[in-house]
Amino acid sequence: MTETYYPKNESEVSDFIFDHFNKNNPIEIAGYGSKKIGRIIQSSQTLSLKDLSGIIEYFPEELYIKVLPGTSLKEIEETLAKKNQFLGFEPNDLGYLYTGRANSGSIGGVVSCNLSGPGRFKHGALRDHVLGFKAVNGSGAKIKSGGTVVKNVTGYDLSKVISGSYGTLCAITEINLKVSPLPEFEETFVISDLNYEDAIQVFKLALDSSLEISGACYFPSENASFLTLNDVKKDTSILGLRVQGPKPSVVERIKQLKKMFSDKKISILDIYQTSIFWREIKNFEGYANEDTYVCKISLPVTNMGSFLRYFNKTNFKYFLDWAGNIAWCSLTSQEDLDQMRIFCLKHDGYLTVLRANDNFRKSEEFLTNSNSSLKILSKKLKESFDPRGILNPNKMYSGV
Amino acid sequence: MSLVLPEPDLNIIDNKKDIVKDISEITKNVISSDDEIKPYETDGLSVYRQKPIAVVLPETTEEVSKILKYCFDKKIKVVPRGAGTGLSGGSIPLADCILMGMGKFNKILETDFENRCVVAQPCVANLAITTAVQHKDFYYAPDPSSQLACSIGGNVAENSGGVHSLKYGTTTNNLMGVEMVLMDGTILKLGGKHLDSEGYDLLGLVTGSEGLLGVITEVTVRILKKPESVRAVLIGFQSIEDSGNCVADIIAKGIVPAGMEIMDKPLIIATDNFAKAGYPRDVEALLIVELDGTVSEVDTLINKVLDIAKMNKASYNRASNSDEERMRFWKGRKAAFTACGVIAPDYICMDGSIPRNKLSDVLAYISKLSKKYKLDVANCFHAGDGNLHPLIMFDSNDPVEMKKAEDFGADILKYCVKVGGVLSGEHGIGVEKRELMCEMFNDNDIQQQLNIKQAFDEKNLLNPGKVFPILHRCAEGGRMHIHKGKDKFPNLPRF
Repeated sequence: MTETYYPKNESEVSDFIFDHFNKNNPIEIAGYGSKKIGRIIQSSQTLSLKDLSGIIEYFPEELYIKVLPGTSLKEIEETLAKKNQFLGFEPNDLGYLYTGRANSGSIGGVVSCNLSGPGRFKHGALRDHVLGFKAVNGSGAKIKSGGTVVKNVTGYDLSKVISGSYGTLCAITEINLKVSPLPEFEETFVISDLNYEDAIQVFKLALDSSLEISGACYFPSENASFLTLNDVKKDTSILGLRVQGPKPSVVERIKQLKKMFSDKKISILDIYQTSIFWREIKNFEGYANEDTYVCKISLPVTNMGSFLRYFNKTNFKYFLDWAGNIAWCSLTSQEDLDQMRIFCLKHDGYLTVLRANDNFRKSEEFLTNSNSSLKILSKKLKESFDPRGILNPNKMYSGV
Repeated sequence: MSLVLPEPDLNIIDNKKDIVKDISEITKNVISSDDEIKPYETDGLSVYRQKPIAVVLPETTEEVSKILKYCFDKKIKVVPRGAGTGLSGGSIPLADCILMGMGKFNKILETDFENRCVVAQPCVANLAITTAVQHKDFYYAPDPSSQLACSIGGNVAENSGGVHSLKYGTTTNNLMGVEMVLMDGTILKLGGKHLDSEGYDLLGLVTGSEGLLGVITEVTVRILKKPESVRAVLIGFQSIEDSGNCVADIIAKGIVPAGMEIMDKPLIIATDNFAKAGYPRDVEALLIVELDGTVSEVDTLINKVLDIAKMNKASYNRASNSDEERMRFWKGRKAAFTACGVIAPDYICMDGSIPRNKLSDVLAYISKLSKKYKLDVANCFHAGDGNLHPLIMFDSNDPVEMKKAEDFGADILKYCVKVGGVLSGEHGIGVEKRELMCEMFNDNDIQQQLNIKQAFDEKNLLNPGKVFPILHRCAEGGRMHIHKGKDKFPNLPRF
């Protein structure tokens, strides 16, 4: 039976962890429990940061917001939207993957996973938007790093390390995030009927131009039904290029794209269709209500074509995002998943499992096994925050 | 000028001859004569000087690994050094250390336009990366003012920025991978040509770690396509407050300029005298706003910025109509440091970052301090990212004045922290601001950082005496676990 503790402030988090540090008891750190990502943890105690919720301060002109970890992503996004701002890393809503409906969870959980949306290749990853934080480490000590300014070289940049650490280093108690102005206008330039090799070529041409493309995705015809938008054909492949900025500039750039790709089958999604199109992609809505493995394949663009060629005969669905730097795949066979992971390791990339059944999550690795020196260093880093290994033990790797 | 560094190990100094002999078997490039070592005794913070026992200039990653392993086994301290342009004394040697100069790692290994990145050795100059890719209209975005000389490996160590950080980020946001060697000789590859890495973000941790965690031997950075159009506006105000309000309004209107710079009156006059930039002299503050993007976008935004400037009582404005004119706007600002060097025998440049809305408050405080210390000061401010560079002018031949300048600088940084800012925006802590770390961090925070240092370098041999305070402990700020009266890491120097 798991007991859950809901601290009301940082000191209660510190006391709870200190107590479990003394007893050498493992703790699972949770937010809203909306993300079934990572390995399953064996612990009798859960530390829920749900009640540490609220916006501490928000200065739109200073381009940052300071929040408690249990604040819902929804509340943050709504608050920012009132001032025409947003989180530039475009956080994914993983709720669709696990429950079939929207449930973006808490900001603490979002930061712990370091997942980023379609603009990643242009605006950076989540970790690039965390300016500072407060937390309690595995021995119960309250620690902090960073600040609220974008330029900061004052001690090690721990904001990077806690982003994507899946709660294995510390329990976050406060987060400072950089915010960005919402683009005034946006449209999506769509090319249909391309194979993946042509698609990768289009990405290159578009990104080699000065057109400031901020989204570049590709769905092969077999996976075009991922998108529910009526305005997109379902019997052909779809490549989308997002153009954002002041309206005259967007209009001008779309015109230039039309000229560049005048020999292709093109169409334009307006501002409303554009927002739905990229939301569906960002939240993996097309992979909802399926009992499959969903994984992220990250490779240099030049190796993505080889990956798709190599797995040409394999039964899986995919779409490319981040201008071909990433493939989000859905597949049923663990054997195929293992093969893909081996391919990634050999080709300067990695595979991360986002969705898997409980058996997999209990016994298998969801991150690519990095080489042994990296693993040793990762273990030492974990110990530097959590000397007795009580915070989310084994969640990232077995032994870390 | 005396500088407190960790107590030297006299045995190491006494064994110099043997150490030099042993390392000479690993690499042929060992310098140990006093005359030849001299150029390495300081860096960009030249008021401090210290000779190491020897300088070693490895040529390959394997040599770096073997030398570090040797030093690890023999407990010899190592200080890494790139181009030696750092302003916080991060590569100042210790009396009992081997200085590892990376000068021979000076080649660009690959320009990869398909993956939009460049792979370079760490001592390639920042600007050389742009030079290598500009024939295809690409460039490397972070542009510290020393970009002609500073090395890309040093940029990683200090997380260098430049004037375009608000829009394009600093080194950490443009770095894709590194190869590095740990103090025990382990060679590691972090990141690569893909985006993001899984597992702990060690690449992010190493960036800005000031040479304390490992020696960088290869760097992969992202390159960007040059924007179609770049234009700048020069705006004059009758008060600093108005210029600060204008910056806030530009951001509130959703505009993210490529760069925004404010200069105060003393700096306007100094730079205009020196560089003949044609700045208006009847203004209290001068703001340069640079916008880039497509032609239509830039033209639209320039007009918006000019409107915002008018609403904030701008008394002068001019938008550039050619690249020559834009470069002229920047000419004075880019000569700021040199211009101050002409009007005073010496200056020190401070480097705090502050919330943008505290600018006039901080400048008023600096002006008060200037009267208190009877030293002139000129200020330039990366208004986009909140990075403030007060230039304090003094004469280093006068020890009293030198001490006053140091105290003046420390007071400014303490105030930056007080208003919600940080000690260093881009120059790093090094030895210069080491003792001020307690202004921002308590003992728990510092202990956590020291624990990380130990995870990478268990014997504390790589660049010790930098970043963390050594003269005193920071105030207790909550629970620090002490087991039976002992620190968690009893072997770690607690300074």
